[in-house]
Amino acid sequence: MTSNKHNPKRVLAIDPTSRGFGYVVLESPTTLVDWGGKVIRDQNEAKTLAKLSELIRHYGPEIIVLEDPRESRRCARIQSLLDGVCRLATEEGIESRRVPISRVKKVFHAFRATTKHEIAQVIAQQLPELAPQLPRYRKAWMSEGYGMAFFDAAALALTYFHFRLLRTAGAPQARPMAENLKRSELV
Amino acid sequence: MASHKLPNYLRVHRKRLGLSLNEVAFLLGWRGASQPSRYEHFSRTPTLRTALALAVVLQVSIRDLFSGEYRKAESAVCRQAQRLEARLTMESPDQRTARKLAWLKRIGSADGNPS
Repeated sequence: MTSNKHNPKRVLAIDPTSRGFGYVVLESPTTLVDWGGKVIRDQNEAKTLAKLSELIRHYGPEIIVLEDPRESRRCARIQSLLDGVCRLATEEGIESRRVPISRVKKVFHAFRATTKHEIAQVIAQQLPELAPQLPRYRKAWMSEGYGMAFFDAAALALTYFHFRLLRTAGAPQARPMAENLKRSELV
Repeated sequence: MASHKLPNYLRVHRKRLGLSLNEVAFLLGWRGASQPSRYEHFSRTPTLRTALALAVVLQVSIRDLFSGEYRKAESAVCRQAQRLEARLTMESPDQRTARKLAWLKRIGSADGNPS
């Protein structure tokens, strides 16, 4: 039997927004289990954490992936919320991983995707279930689409998987995202 | 594959097809969306007839749709197969027993294999 260390684990990635948060649940870089957005009124941190607790109880993720806000310009509320999510993960006995946005950009730069929309397009090819929800190209005067939150969460999760698969490159089932995408003749 | 499968993957397959809970309920001949919602939240397990109907609606095999339940049933059967194998090994070896033992070995080795 293979060791548990090399078993891909169920990952919950979340991306907080001004209206709530977007989330994706993945069992491998190509196996999407659920995705969506939760709307939280009044930007209430306790309500957000309660919604997140429901997701944790339902899916029993082994890892929660979040953005590392230190290298980005996220507001104090989001930074405090991300800290709260990490505390919640520790209380529930779940590992949490913070992925800096620079790392996400580095991974998707290999697929010539630099903007959020281009990254979302690459994700829609990797996870075709999300393709119908791909927000249309945002002009400068338009507000960001509701669906972009779970594309951002998916970007964090795929970056996490990419680096984890690179670390465990010796494992038989390890196949970095780059290889998956090469197979789909994207690059 | 995750180390622990979810009891069912109804939600992902439904969302993949863009169906609402109400539409699934309608296809299965129910009035409201509460029953399929209970299945998706793992608070109820569907009957065999309902599970078959869900597999038809979502166009996925029962084994893939109810991976967690399948795994649970598989490992229970494997444990029993190993017990029966141990019991049969004690008996006098004839052709029939040998055939059964070979079959039980195959069932026993299926536990933990990716589905």
